[in-house]
Amino acid sequence: MSALAEMLQGEVARAAAETLLTVENVSLTFGGVRALSDISFDIRKGEIRAIIGPNGAGKTSMLNCINGFYHPRSGRITFKGKTRQRMRPYEAASQGIARTFQNVALFKGMTTLDNILTGRTLKMNRNFFWQLLRHGPAMREEIEHRIYCEDIIDFLEIEHIRKTPVGKLPYGLQKRVELGRALAMQPDLLLLDEPMAGMNLEEKEDMCRFILDVNRHFRTTIALIEHDMGVVMDISDRVVVLEYGHKIADGTPDEVKADQRVIDAYLGVSH
Amino acid sequence: MNASNGFGPRPGNDTFPKLLRANAQVRAKRPAMRCKDRGIWQTWTWEDVYENVSLFAYGLKALGVARGDKIAIAGANRPRLYWAICAAQMLGAVPVPVYADAVASELAYVLQNADVRIAIVQDQEQVDKLLGESEQLGQLQQIVYDEERGLEDYDHTRLHAISALIAESRDIFAGEPGARAAIEAEIDAGGGGDISIMLYTSGTTGRSKGVMLSAGGCISAATDTVAFDKLTEADETLAYLPLAWVGDHYLNYAQSFVAGFCMACPESAETAQQDLREIGPTFYFAPPRVFESLLTRVMIRMEDASAPKRWLFRHFIDVARQWGEKILNGKQVPLHARLHYGLGKILIYAPLLNVLGFSRIRVAYTAGEAIGSDLFSFYRSLGMNLKQLYGQTEAFLYVTCQKDGDIRSETVGPPAPNVDIRIADSGEVQFRSPGMFVAYYKEDAKTAEAMTQDGYVKTGDAGIFDTDGHLRIIDRAADVGKLDDGSLFAPKYIENKLKFFPNIKEAVGFGHDRAFVAAMLNIDLTAVGNWAERNNISYGSYQELAGHPQVYEMIADHVASVNESLSRDRFMAGAQIRRFLILHKELDADDGELTRTQKVRRSFVGERYAPLVEALYNGSEEADISTEVTFEDGRKGVIAARVKIRDARTFAVEAAPVAEQVA
Repeated sequence: MSALAEMLQGEVARAAAETLLTVENVSLTFGGVRALSDISFDIRKGEIRAIIGPNGAGKTSMLNCINGFYHPRSGRITFKGKTRQRMRPYEAASQGIARTFQNVALFKGMTTLDNILTGRTLKMNRNFFWQLLRHGPAMREEIEHRIYCEDIIDFLEIEHIRKTPVGKLPYGLQKRVELGRALAMQPDLLLLDEPMAGMNLEEKEDMCRFILDVNRHFRTTIALIEHDMGVVMDISDRVVVLEYGHKIADGTPDEVKADQRVIDAYLGVSH
Repeated sequence: MNASNGFGPRPGNDTFPKLLRANAQVRAKRPAMRCKDRGIWQTWTWEDVYENVSLFAYGLKALGVARGDKIAIAGANRPRLYWAICAAQMLGAVPVPVYADAVASELAYVLQNADVRIAIVQDQEQVDKLLGESEQLGQLQQIVYDEERGLEDYDHTRLHAISALIAESRDIFAGEPGARAAIEAEIDAGGGGDISIMLYTSGTTGRSKGVMLSAGGCISAATDTVAFDKLTEADETLAYLPLAWVGDHYLNYAQSFVAGFCMACPESAETAQQDLREIGPTFYFAPPRVFESLLTRVMIRMEDASAPKRWLFRHFIDVARQWGEKILNGKQVPLHARLHYGLGKILIYAPLLNVLGFSRIRVAYTAGEAIGSDLFSFYRSLGMNLKQLYGQTEAFLYVTCQKDGDIRSETVGPPAPNVDIRIADSGEVQFRSPGMFVAYYKEDAKTAEAMTQDGYVKTGDAGIFDTDGHLRIIDRAADVGKLDDGSLFAPKYIENKLKFFPNIKEAVGFGHDRAFVAAMLNIDLTAVGNWAERNNISYGSYQELAGHPQVYEMIADHVASVNESLSRDRFMAGAQIRRFLILHKELDADDGELTRTQKVRRSFVGERYAPLVEALYNGSEEADISTEVTFEDGRKGVIAARVKIRDARTFAVEAAPVAEQVA
C-alpha cells in the first residue's frame, strides 16, 4: 500500500518537475586549458541542485557560464525554454538568474539595507531623473522596494545590522547579506557559489536552514556549489559531480555517494 | 501605618483586565504598546490592546481555558505575549511566564511543576522544545504560537496561531453580541484576591519555585511606586527584560497598566540598544552589568578617538565628577561650576546620553547586584537620575528604593512606600509589603520556611541599617562564612570588589572553613581583548588570552588593589585573597554555572572545578582540568586545559588601631 502510494507520489512529482535550465554539451577553454568539456545536465524547477567536485574541477566556471559571465566555446544553455547564444551577465540577471560569489562581493561602505536594495535595481521602473527627484511615483516605487527588502531582512534575521556598513560585519553575516541581495532580485534561479565556505558549524547550520527556507518560502530554484559533503548530501535534491572539467556522475545524493568514480575522485586512486 | 491601605487589595480596579478596560475608556487613543516590525514602529492604543486582548481571551476560552488554569508563556518581549498574559488574567487563568532561553528540560520542569495545560509561545524554537519534551508533558493539551515561520508543516491539531484565534473571535464578535458580553462578565468575575501571575524564582538556591502573586497586591504595590516616582501616561519604557523575570512584569506590565504609559518592545534582542535610542525611554531599568558594559564600550571608543576629543572628554568628565552629582542632588554649587558644567552638558554629556539612548530618562533604576560606586556616580554625574532598589520576586519587586536627591552608591535606600522592614537577630533582612507573595505553588513547606510566625518574609540576605535609615545589603545570609582563624568571610562582597574592575567579568570566592581566601576569575573578553589589541598581544581564543602571562600580571595587580582596600576594612581585613587563578572558560548558564539571571552558583562551581579548588589550597603552581560544556544547540563537548595559579600580594592590617579608636 505505502509502496504504491510512494510510487504514485514519485510519478506526480516527476510530471510536475518541469525543466528550468538545460546545459547541453558545453565546453569552455582558456587558451590551452579545457575548463569544461562536453558537460550536460539540467535543473528542474523548484529543486536544490548541487554541483560538486574537487578543486579545479570547473564548478565555478560552470556557474559563470550559466549566468553569462563566460561564454562557452560550444554547446547550448537553455533557460526557461529560450536557448541563448551569447549573453551578458546583466541579461542573465534580468531574465531571473541571481548569484552569490565565492569571495564575498558586497559594497563594503554601504549598509546592509542599501546593499540589499541594490538587488532591486533591475526592478526599478522609473528612470534616473525620477529617482533623483525622489518624489511622487519614484517615492512610491522606493517604498515598495523597501518593503520587499524589509521582508528579506526579517526572513534572514538580520534586523540588528540593517544600518551597519557591511565592511564591519563578520564574514558569516556578510554571506547572509549577499544571499539577501540575490533574493531581492526575486530570481527564478539562484546560483550560490560556496555559500558555506569559511563558516563555523553553527553558521553553516543557520545557512542550511536559510537555503532550505528560501527554496520553500520563495519557491526559488537553487543551484549551489559546496565542498562540505555533509551539507550537500543533506539539503540537495540532485547532485552533479565534475572532475577535471568532465561530468563523472549525476543523480540523487544516495546514488552519487555510492558511485565508484565519485569515491575515487574524492579519495584519490593510485594510477 | 494603616494595615488596610498597606497590605491587601484596595477597592476599584483590582485586576489587570479591569485596569486595561479603564485605560481603554480613559485614554483610548493614547499609545499603550509599540513594537518595531519590518523596520517601522507599530503602535497599539489602549483601545486596540483592549480589543485584541478581549478577542484573544475569547479564543483561549474556546480552547477550553477555565478559571484557575495555568497558562505558560514563553518568548521574547512581543506585544502579543503581553496580550497573552492579560488574556489569561481576563479568564481568571494564571499566566506563568517562562524564560525563553531555558533549555527544553528546564522549560519542561516548570510546565510540569505548574500543571500547565496550555502554552502560548513565540515561535518554532519554543514549539520544538515543547514537542521534544512531550513525553514529560502529558498534561499539556494545546500550544498557541505567535510567529508562523517554519511551522507550516507541523501537525496543527494541537497547534494554533494567535492571529488565527483573534481573527476567528473577531468574526464571532461581529455576529454574536453575547460573545463580547461573556468576556465582559469574565472580567467582572475577577477580584483582587485572585492569583494574578505565577513567577518562577531564578533558582539561585536549588530548584526554582512558583511564586504566586495576587492581583490586588500587585496593583497596590505598583500604584505606590508609580506615585513614588511620579510616573504618568506621558512616560515611556522599553520592555527588553526577560518576560519571566519579576522586574519586567512589574516595571513594564504592572506599572504601565497602572500609570497608563506606553511600553515599547524591541525588534529583537540584538537590536535593543538601537531601539533604545529610537524610543528614548523616560523610565529605564538595567542591571549593573548593562551599565558597566555600556561604560566599557564608551571608554574603548574614546581610546580610539583623536587626541583633542580625548582631552575634551577627560576634562569634562572630571568636571562632571566634581560637580555633577551635587547639581543633580540639588545641593549648593558655585556659579562658575554651574557654568562649566553647563558647557560640558552641551559639548559632552548631552551628546553622550543621546548616543546611549538616555536623553529623555527621568528615572532609572538598577538592582540585582551591587554596583560599583565609580560606575554609579559616572552616570549620575552626567545628569541621569540613576537610583538603586532592592527587591525580590516574593515581594513583587520593591523592598527598598532610593528617593530622588538622597542617594548613595553603597546602600539600597530606605523602605519603599508601605513596606515594613526589620533586621532579624541573625542579621537577616525581613519585610512585609503590599505586593508580597501569597505562597509558593504546591510547596507549603517551603512557604512556611520563607515566612516568619508573624507574617514577615525572610529575604535570605544579610543586611544592616545605616544611621540614616538606609539599608545596606552585605551578602546572602547563608553565604557569610568564617575562615579557619575565625575572620569574617563574605564572598559576594569580595567578588563584587573584584568585578568592579572592567577586566574582570566574573569572580568566585572560596574560603569558608578554609585557611585563607582564594578566587577563580573570568576575564572580560571585550575589555581585555581591546587591551591585548593595543598592546600587540595576539591570541586565538578566550582560553589562550586567559592564560597569557601578561594578562595574569594585570589581573594580579587588580587582586592586589582589592586586597589593599580590604586591609583598610576592620571586618574584612582577614579575608584578603591569597591565591587566585583565571578560568580557562567563561562561566555559562547553559552549563549550570550561572543562573538564568547571570548569578554565580558558587557551590556548583566549587564542585565542578574541584581539582582547581584543591590546587588553590595545596600550593600547586598549575592544575589540569577538563570539563563538559554544552553548546548552544544542546550538544556536549569537553574542554581541557592546564590552568596556572598565582599567589596574590596581601597587605598588613594597618588600619586596625585607628578603627579601634573609632569604635
